[in-house]
Amino acid sequence: MSSPLCLRCLRRSLQPLDHHAASVQRAAFSTTPALGALPPKKKGAANTKPTMRGGSSLKLTKNTRVASGRPPAPGERKALRKRVVLSNTNAIEVRHLQDLTKDLCKDVSALTEAHGKVVGLENETVDAMRALEAFKATQGWNLFRRPAVLVRKETIEMAETLHDAQSKKKTVSKVLYGSRGSGKSVLQLQAMALAQQRGWIVLHFPEAKELTIGHAAYEPVITENGTEYIQPGYTAHLLGNFARANKAVLSKLHLSQQHKLPIPIQPDITLDRFIELGANDPEIAWPIWSAMMIELTAPSKSDKGLQRPPLFVGLDGLDHIMRDSAYLDMDAKPVHAHSLTLVRDFVGLLSGSTKLPNGGMVVAAVSESNRARAPTLDYCLETNSGESKPLWDPYMPQDDRVISAFKNVPVQLINGLSKDEARGIMEYYAQSGMLRSTVTDLLVSETWTLAGNGLIGEVERGSVRMRM
Amino acid sequence: MPFIFGVSFVDQQLVSRALQSFYGIGPNVCKTLMARFNIHSTARIGALKDKQIDDLGAELSTMTLENDARRQLQDNIKRLRDMGTYRGRRHAMGLPVRGQRTRTQVSLTLALVEWDRDLAGYENVWTTFIYFRGLLLAKHQFHSISM
Repeated sequence: MSSPLCLRCLRRSLQPLDHHAASVQRAAFSTTPALGALPPKKKGAANTKPTMRGGSSLKLTKNTRVASGRPPAPGERKALRKRVVLSNTNAIEVRHLQDLTKDLCKDVSALTEAHGKVVGLENETVDAMRALEAFKATQGWNLFRRPAVLVRKETIEMAETLHDAQSKKKTVSKVLYGSRGSGKSVLQLQAMALAQQRGWIVLHFPEAKELTIGHAAYEPVITENGTEYIQPGYTAHLLGNFARANKAVLSKLHLSQQHKLPIPIQPDITLDRFIELGANDPEIAWPIWSAMMIELTAPSKSDKGLQRPPLFVGLDGLDHIMRDSAYLDMDAKPVHAHSLTLVRDFVGLLSGSTKLPNGGMVVAAVSESNRARAPTLDYCLETNSGESKPLWDPYMPQDDRVISAFKNVPVQLINGLSKDEARGIMEYYAQSGMLRSTVTDLLVSETWTLAGNGLIGEVERGSVRMRM
Repeated sequence: MPFIFGVSFVDQQLVSRALQSFYGIGPNVCKTLMARFNIHSTARIGALKDKQIDDLGAELSTMTLENDARRQLQDNIKRLRDMGTYRGRRHAMGLPVRGQRTRTQVSLTLALVEWDRDLAGYENVWTTFIYFRGLLLAKHQFHSISM
C-alpha cells in the first residue's frame, strides 16, 4: 500500500519552509527591500497601556535626539579641550632661527642683541615647559613649526633680574598684570625657560583656578595658623610635574635632612626619586611636599657642603587665589584661598615672608581671560603700581590677608609691543609661511594699531589667525 | 559599590547626587553634610574614604529621612486637619492652601478633585488617575500653546 504522500515529495515540500524566513533578510535580488521594510512589530505592543509620557500623549516637538556613534569616554572631551599642540607640519621651518641656548640665557648682553627677534626653544626646554603645563591650548603654538618666542623688552628685563637674583642670592618677586592678550603668561614661560636653562629648579602652578574651584579632594589639618586644608590629589599631580620637569637637576641632589614622614625613606635618596614617591601616592603627597620645600630652601654651604640651585616659582591666574575659595569648612562657610596649604606656601614666597637663601624668583601672572572677581587684588595692583592711590568703598570690607600679602610686592604692567618688536614677530610669521603679505611699515603699523597698540595676542590674531 | 544608608551606589556616581536621592535631602542639606565631612562638590562615591562613608551613614541615621520624613509631612497635615484649621480643610478638599486665586486659573485642580471623587470606587484608582491626569496635562498644555 502506497502512502498518499511520497517521502521524497515530503522532503522537498519541507525545504522551502526553513528557507522562507531567511529569504527576506538575505535579499536575493536587491538590497533595498530589506532596508526599506517596516520594522517588525513588537510583541504585545497593542496590549500595553498608554503611559503619561507615552505615544498617545501630545508631542509638541519633533526634535528628538538621535544617538549616533559611540558616546565619549569619561575624560575624553576634556583631554581634547586641554590638548596642547606644539607643532604645525604645514608651516615652513624658519631658517637661521636662533635658539634660546644656555649661553644666550646666561649672557644678558647677547640677549639684548636679539631684542625684537624670535628665538626658538630647545627640545629640553620644551619638554620641561610641557611637563610644567606652561604651554596653553589657547596660545598659538599650533600655528608654527616649533615653539619659538619673541625677545621683547620685558624678556630682557626678566633675564637681568634672574642674573641679579642668582649672583646676589636674593629673592625677587613680581606680579604681572595687563590687558588680555598682552603676553603675561608667555612672558612667565620665557622667564621659566631662562631659569631652566640657567640650571635653576622651576616650580609652576599652571592654573590657580584648579586650586580653588573646589574640584580636588581636600582635608583639614591643624597647623600653627589654625585649621588649614591640604589637597592630596592635586599636590601629587604638581609633584609629578615638578619631578618630570626638573629631573636633570634634581637627580644630582640628595636628601639632606631628617623629615617626619609616614613612610621609611632611604636617607640619601635623590630628590627626584623622593618627589616621585609623593607623586605616586596622594596619601603621602603633602608630607613629601613640605619636606621638598624645606630641602629646596635649605641654604647652600660654601666649599663642598650642601649645594642647592636657585628656585623659580611661577603661578598663573593669581586672581583666583586672592579671594575666598569654593571649598567649605565644617560649618559650610567658604574657606579663604590662603588657608589652602599649597596657596599659603606660594603666597609666603611671593610676599617675601619665606626667604629663598640661594636666590630665586617668584612670578605670578594675573589671568584676564578667565578673571575671578577680586576687588582687593585690583586695589593692591593699582596701589603698588604707584600710578595713583585708588579709593576704596568704605562700605565694602577689605580682604586683610590679600592686603598683607601684597605689602612689598612689586607689580609690572605688561603693555603692547613696540613697533620694532611687532615687526620682528610679523617677519617671523611671514617666514613661517603663515602670513602671506609682504611685511611693510604700513602693514606693521596698521596691525599694531588694530591690535590695541601692539598687544601681542591681538597682533597674532590680526595677522595669522583671522587671515582670509 | 559602597552602601550608604542601606543603599548601594556605583563608584562613578556623584556624592551630591547620591545624597539627594534620599527623600528629605535637598541641595542645601546636601551642601552642609558634604562640608561637614570635607567632601568637595565634584567628589564621586568611589573617591570617598571608608571613614567618610561611615560618618555619612552615621549622620544620615540620625536624620529624619525617607518614610519618616514622608510620615512627618503627613502628620503635619493631619494635625492641621484635626484642629480644623483653614489650611487643614483646604488640604482635605484638595484645593490650594496658600491663598491662591480659585475663581479662575484652577481648572486643573478642580478637575482633579472631581476625578478623585468619581474614581473612588475603581479597582486600581491610582493608575487610572495617573493616566487621566497625563491626558489632561497634555490637553491643558496644548490649549495653553494654541491660545
